[in-house]
Amino acid sequence: MIKVLKVTGDSLTPEYKGGDFVIVLKIPLWFKSPKRGDVVVFRQSNYGILIKQVDRYDPQSGEFFVIGTHADSVDSRQFGALHKRDLIGKVIWHVRNPR
Amino acid sequence: MIFKIFESLDEKFGVERAKAHCDVPCGIYDPIVAQISALTVVRMIDLIHDLAGKGAEHDTAYHNTMSRYVTVKEEHAEKAKAEIRIIWGDYIKAQHLESYPQVNSVVHKIMQLGSKSRQTTDREAAVEFVETINEFAEIFWATKGITTKRANAPYAPALEVVYPNL
Repeated sequence: MIKVLKVTGDSLTPEYKGGDFVIVLKIPLWFKSPKRGDVVVFRQSNYGILIKQVDRYDPQSGEFFVIGTHADSVDSRQFGALHKRDLIGKVIWHVRNPR
Repeated sequence: MIFKIFESLDEKFGVERAKAHCDVPCGIYDPIVAQISALTVVRMIDLIHDLAGKGAEHDTAYHNTMSRYVTVKEEHAEKAKAEIRIIWGDYIKAQHLESYPQVNSVVHKIMQLGSKSRQTTDREAAVEFVETINEFAEIFWATKGITTKRANAPYAPALEVVYPNL
């Protein structure tokens, strides 16, 4: 239900940087669909556990698209849509690396 | 302070990673560069044998031309190897290896034939280099659900090349 994860990579810079920690929770997604701008953690078959920003969500199909904020981000523009069942959770707390 | 607590938790228990994955190539992979490079290797070997067979005087012009052929052969054999290494290392994933378990041995064979093509002027090895890269291309396109066809390259050495049916 609740997970602590450490961010690696730069696709969500400048807001999220490698070394930051995030606390993710699945419960909010049971009651509310992910919306544009939400930062979510999910499982992608080729890349494993990823953290990205929701770009759009289609409640009918349960599919959503994610993007990064960095120009070289690998996201739905490469691997396509994801399904709500792939979601691990929504970021509810972001602990920044002070360095 | 809070960050330090999380950091020590990570050090002690190993917190799971969430990748904010970034990659400059952005999914642009295509074995055609390796295929063309391998064809160039065969072409250079043909030109080397042609020049040597002409019985021309070994003057500066001869050495200049011969060294240019050898240099291009070297460069393209290495280029083909590098292109295959990138696709194998960055694109090929565990599930591709499950579906196409021969990938690793095909790549290893390409590396060896590429080296042999650099070290020697063995045309047979270079043709096998082209063909093994063709096998890799067939697997690569199959992982994307794209069928392939074989056709002779429209230029010397006119060997068979695997092309995707796009």
